[in-house]
Amino acid sequence: MTAANTASPATARLTVTERMARLLGAIPWIVEQGGASLDELAARFDYPVEQLLQDLTQRVFFVGVHPFTPDTLIEVEITDGVVDIRYADWFSQPMQLSSEEATRLLAAGRTVLEMTQDGSNLGSHSDAAEPLVRALTKLSLSLGSDNTDSSGNADSGNVATIVDKIDVCLGHASRDTLNDLRSALSKQRAVTIDYYSQTRNVMTRRTVDPAQLFSSEGAWYLYGWCRHVDAERVFRVDRIRDLEVLDEAAKADIAPSRTPTTVSLDDVDRSVTLRLSPEVAWAADYYPVRQQAVDDDGSVEAEFAVASESWLARLLLQLGPHAELIDSQGNIDTDLRASAAAQVLSRYSQ
Amino acid sequence: MLNEKAGKFRGVAMAMHKLERLLNLIAALRNTSQPLSARELRQRIAGAYSDDDLAFRRMFERDKADLRAIGVPIEMTTLYRFDPPVDGYSISDADYAGRDLRFDPDELAVLHLATNLVRVEGAGEGLARLGGGVGTVEAVGELPFDEALSKLVAAAIRHRSVTFAYRDKQLLVEPWRLSFHRGYWYLIGWDAQNGSEHLYRVDRITGEVADAGAATRPAGSGVDPSSLKPWEFGDSEPVEVRLLVDADQAAWACHRAGVHGERRPDGSVVLKLAVRDSAALRAFVLEFLEHAELLEPQWLRDEFVAWLEALADSGTL
Repeated sequence: MTAANTASPATARLTVTERMARLLGAIPWIVEQGGASLDELAARFDYPVEQLLQDLTQRVFFVGVHPFTPDTLIEVEITDGVVDIRYADWFSQPMQLSSEEATRLLAAGRTVLEMTQDGSNLGSHSDAAEPLVRALTKLSLSLGSDNTDSSGNADSGNVATIVDKIDVCLGHASRDTLNDLRSALSKQRAVTIDYYSQTRNVMTRRTVDPAQLFSSEGAWYLYGWCRHVDAERVFRVDRIRDLEVLDEAAKADIAPSRTPTTVSLDDVDRSVTLRLSPEVAWAADYYPVRQQAVDDDGSVEAEFAVASESWLARLLLQLGPHAELIDSQGNIDTDLRASAAAQVLSRYSQ
Repeated sequence: MLNEKAGKFRGVAMAMHKLERLLNLIAALRNTSQPLSARELRQRIAGAYSDDDLAFRRMFERDKADLRAIGVPIEMTTLYRFDPPVDGYSISDADYAGRDLRFDPDELAVLHLATNLVRVEGAGEGLARLGGGVGTVEAVGELPFDEALSKLVAAAIRHRSVTFAYRDKQLLVEPWRLSFHRGYWYLIGWDAQNGSEHLYRVDRITGEVADAGAATRPAGSGVDPSSLKPWEFGDSEPVEVRLLVDADQAAWACHRAGVHGERRPDGSVVLKLAVRDSAALRAFVLEFLEHAELLEPQWLRDEFVAWLEALADSGTL
């Protein structure tokens, strides 16, 4: 599943429905503020200013109800870049959130609340918790929460209710490690980590210039410049065993990355192409793949980068009969699965 | 000065822009004491729609769908004042603005921040309608989300029970909590048919989640998925498994399994695990390749050996 991307505000031209959704918020906002500047509206509602001006003066200007006599029409007045709207009776209240929209907001808010609690360091957003709790309480009430605590205090009852009803773990990692990484990122400091490399089954110590901390598929990742290999690398935070924030400034010009899996492939010259039956098709999303194709029956053909044979052996044994070798590149033992299985079995025959 | 009312009349022949038409449609649907038929709406919004019935109908249906897509609560009823009866449409004040959900500026700002930090699948323009927000920050994570999940969250908050199909069975469940963990949403709730607490993977729910009346029991807290290991998920009875891990991987294995284990003189360790998902356990054991051995129970050990034997005999990969 993919999450929504935000369009870049300056360049994107909005569709009619996107403009509708924005206007249904902007009109009550202008009415309530008793006027607002075009620039502020454009920024707040992510609405290109020329388009906003055109929509207000050439569309909203003509909106009203039967019989469309002047007294039934919305009044839009723009003086010195300040918009004033009057007689917008049918649009002066904000349209309420649908229950689905409210639950989506709750999920996002609950996730961030989790990040602000117990002293998690959100950098400049560290004071977000208190208004967030108020906002989530309002959302929960608007969804029809019937919970009140024993003292009859609906508000505090509902804070507990939200925390109770939905929780989000973006990744399983030590809070100390996450906090240290966030602090290193905000102060732009390098870190030294003891890292467990699953592909090679060893602990290594390396110094990293952190560029980004992000969560994907329920795990936290650190992306940055690894001085050990002089290249960008992605590290799973739950495999960092020990971390030290250095006094040294971090290298700043690191190209941003969004995905955990596409980074470290270029310097790997061995690969296997596997056909995965639908029940193990997840493996193509989970491990670094160069290319993949989905068949009609839901099976996936994907080319996996092979960093080490022990990693490949482990993967093949886990996938078992659900994976079939199509092709291999570089020096790979095509008998690997059978020999690895035999080696593990040797423990069981004693 | 743009507000020259005299200049606001326009020739009817001039096609009305869609944005203007949609706004007028909302105003007309709100400005009525009784639901209106499509034809009545066409009359009331002069110049909006074609006189050709077929073209009008097509455009009207599309407009309705577009408005509903951005959350405009258009209600449909049957109008018996016509013969034969026709569909009637309206937007009630209660549906449109009834919640009167107002956020203070700081609340709006943190919600805006939250939706920036956490990208929720399918999130629309809801926040924009409540006043929007300024600035963007880089997202730190993404959350899958769909209609079924939304209904489960709402049901947990409203203390309602729901029905849904799960693994080909129709279930009646009182949702207690939704938990996102290791990339999946889980529902923790009360299985009203079996009279027991259960954990469900939300992505395995098929068909619609439907309301089934008020919940009968107070909500419990249930198991916390974040405390569970991959092999602990499932709805069968747990099996106690003993796993031997060699000395050089013992510390890592204990860390992964979240248990201390029983150390042996040679430095190896025996882990006791409560297993509900044997495939997940197999994947865990195989991470150690030949440095681990599944000791007990015998039947699970036999299954594990059979899995490997099939692979050892299969020749080339």
